[in-house]
Amino acid sequence: MTTVRSAFATVLLLALRYSLLAAVFALLWLLDRAFAARLDPYAFYLLRLIGINLILAVSLNLIMGFTGQFSLGHAGFMAVGAYAAAATSQWLVAHSPALANSPVLQSLVFLGVTVLGGLAAALAGLIVGLPTLRLRGDYLAIATLGFGEIIRVTFVNLEVVGGARGLTDIPPLGVTPVTSHFWWVALWAAITLWVVYRIVRCTRGIAFQAVREDELAAECVGINTTYYKVLAFVLGAFFAGVAGALFAHDPDQRYINPDTFKFMKSIEAVVMVIVGGLGSLTGSVMAASVLTALPETLRSIGEYRMVLYALLLIVLMLTRPAGLLGGWELSWRRREEISPDDLEQPLQPHRPTGETLLCLRDCTMQFGGLVAVRDFRLALREGELVGLIGPNGAGKTTVFNLITGIYTPTAGEILLDSRRLDGQPPHLIARWGVARTFQNIRLFKELSVLDNVRAAFVHQAGYPFWAAVLALPHQQKREREIERKCLALLKLFGLHERRHEKAKNLPYGDQRRLEIVRALALAPKVLLLDEPTAGMNPAETQAVMHLIKRLNDEWGLTILLIEHDMKVVMGICRRVVVMDFGEIIAEGSPEQIRTDPKVIAAYLGEPMEQPTPPLDVQPM
Amino acid sequence: MDVTQGLQLLVLGIALGGIYALIALGYSMVYGVLRLINFAHGDLIMVGAFLGYFVAKSPMVEGLPLPMRFGLVFASAMLGCAVLGVLIERCAYRPLRQQPRLTVLITAIGVSLFLEYGGQIVFGATPRQDLPLWLTEQNPLMRLFTVQITDKHLLVLGGTFTLLALMRFLVLNTLFGKAMRAIAQDMTAAYLVGINVNRVIALTFALGSSLAAASGVMLAMSYPKIDPLMGLMPGVKAFVAAVLGGIGDLPGAVLGGFVLGLAETFVGYFASGLRDAVAFTVLILILLLKPTGLLGKGMVEKV
Repeated sequence: MTTVRSAFATVLLLALRYSLLAAVFALLWLLDRAFAARLDPYAFYLLRLIGINLILAVSLNLIMGFTGQFSLGHAGFMAVGAYAAAATSQWLVAHSPALANSPVLQSLVFLGVTVLGGLAAALAGLIVGLPTLRLRGDYLAIATLGFGEIIRVTFVNLEVVGGARGLTDIPPLGVTPVTSHFWWVALWAAITLWVVYRIVRCTRGIAFQAVREDELAAECVGINTTYYKVLAFVLGAFFAGVAGALFAHDPDQRYINPDTFKFMKSIEAVVMVIVGGLGSLTGSVMAASVLTALPETLRSIGEYRMVLYALLLIVLMLTRPAGLLGGWELSWRRREEISPDDLEQPLQPHRPTGETLLCLRDCTMQFGGLVAVRDFRLALREGELVGLIGPNGAGKTTVFNLITGIYTPTAGEILLDSRRLDGQPPHLIARWGVARTFQNIRLFKELSVLDNVRAAFVHQAGYPFWAAVLALPHQQKREREIERKCLALLKLFGLHERRHEKAKNLPYGDQRRLEIVRALALAPKVLLLDEPTAGMNPAETQAVMHLIKRLNDEWGLTILLIEHDMKVVMGICRRVVVMDFGEIIAEGSPEQIRTDPKVIAAYLGEPMEQPTPPLDVQPM
Repeated sequence: MDVTQGLQLLVLGIALGGIYALIALGYSMVYGVLRLINFAHGDLIMVGAFLGYFVAKSPMVEGLPLPMRFGLVFASAMLGCAVLGVLIERCAYRPLRQQPRLTVLITAIGVSLFLEYGGQIVFGATPRQDLPLWLTEQNPLMRLFTVQITDKHLLVLGGTFTLLALMRFLVLNTLFGKAMRAIAQDMTAAYLVGINVNRVIALTFALGSSLAAASGVMLAMSYPKIDPLMGLMPGVKAFVAAVLGGIGDLPGAVLGGFVLGLAETFVGYFASGLRDAVAFTVLILILLLKPTGLLGKGMVEKV
């Protein structure tokens, strides 16, 4: 009975949502009709140009603003889309005379051609992205600039599409008795905005921003950073290609040549994204409108207009360095808040079997001539809480980096259950059940506390991106589930009150706790804690110690703990491993360790064998 | 292509490479200290070329011996651009020093557009080709295996290497250079040990801009046509050269410039249409094989 009712509710909900969508299309169509009848042709053209630039800016914002990959080659993708679409539609029009007489067929063909342009650009994005996205920052920027120029020069030398002369007389397929080209531009602008908005807001899409904030930390919560970088690139390229197709078919344009897509075009897109604010879609929309309309409205002052434009750009950046809107986003729907009182228990009690879970066999890590870790052996049994201690530079963090796949050991092997971890990428190791925190906190600083934890659910989201784009009911349900889980975990550490604050604004102790929560959200088999109480005051230390012990006692979580604070280690660990100069020098219960002469020597230095002879003072 | 042509291309490539190298050197200096892609650098080339042009055309250089004329042209262009560079830094970049680098990049693009379109108003948009003959004439100096080497080739090469040596000396052997390197590593720490950061950065801009001016004059000498947009492509390519060599590394920038100049000249000979793609293809190949550039040193991230 309940399933029938919920299925009915689902259908109703979907019907409502898609009728809303239809209403939006209808509204756009009405606008289009009104504009076509009333607006003077130049203003109408300008409006379409704004729409095209909007698509460019929003798609580039996905790459630059959300994923943090600096791309200077967006015009190249636009060119690919424009050429692919224009050449196809020219061919089609030449070979099928029926096209001119049927508005329906013409519209369908135009839709197909724009999608084709997008797909061609997406393919180009994939080809460019795969090799170049290994580069970072300015190197990536210049490599993408390079690819953009290579694409342009390729078209100059491609005689099939007119070489340097370009393509002329592109059929304005978007113009039919029922619609004008504006309707298509508006439609695609709305689609672009919606898709990017839905994607970056859903749990899977947190991956993009996590990559921007900290790639290494993203990998360590199970995010395949390369995949998401390339995906952002391909998606961004797709929409840039669509923008190119729309541009080429504009009834007042109908002509493209390679010079249309010079690197200044890419720069224009970058300027729009940054002026609007990195990571703000509202900002991109505003900037695309203002920066497109401005030079045109300034035409009356002739040659001074571009100088004024340049000055405005400088002044704008000086007065609003984060762009018009910074990362701010217009949102019209208040989220329903989940009450922290009715949350289920986040962790399931687990009775440990006591069998070996994590095993390091003779692991050695060598950096050039330096051996950071030598012949390290450790067998961590399920349910154990083991302390790893040693003086600064002993190699403790290196051991963590080996286990989590940040380094591949020069020799030796690492096993989780019976699965080899060494040589595997960090995101897989994280998904298989090894979670960690970092000695120098590595949170996603600009993301909210809640989103930091949600980032650990990226690979556990369990729905494809298109489900998020269509806002399917099961996706929405899953989102609420994930949020509940995150909140429950946050509550456990007393952080749920601050869930909407940016992680960077939390006090130090809370940041450390948030890192532990983020690691727990992976539902790990093993938790590696790298100095979780460093920099905390005694009261905070006590609280965290207590929690670590609870994680181990009540929920049977296996924990390996690096700590400098002897009180912490001796207080909660039943077994302690001591390292010095990359090697294990002692192992045993806290009592054994406390009295071990080698450990004392490592921490306090060797006792002097011979006292220094007193200075022989010669009488003058 | 026979040996003679090959050698002739080699000379041409080296001459072009020398100019790229000089621009890249200035780029690299500024980048090394501020990590800023100074988009306006290419337009300073243009300003330098125009300054040189006006001095060369002015009646005051008439009657002076040739070396003095050249000296005057270069000196005034370099001085003028140094002042302009410092001004740009002071007004457009310094207020944003604590801001994300992308913000400064957009300002740099703004400055670049300002110079280009401002240049079109002040100098006119049509290219000028009436450069004085003494400035642009290529006088054959010697023949090496039937290959001509002219005085201008030597001037470009000599100038590039002299300036490279001078910059290297400045950066590696003077207190000012030490301050530059300190700022490049950690600006806050540089403040703490009492370095006048603003002054050092201003001076760096002055130096970088005067290098741009010198290359602008050389560009005008070798390809006698100047216009307000002339700096755009050489600027971009020189940046490519700087990245190619390992950005921030001065000898790397020069090496990158020569690699680029040679590659472009040779490919341009076989397929002139592909000339502009060469720079970027070479760049991408090298970045993929060695992401830090030819001479750049990678930095290891501490986890």
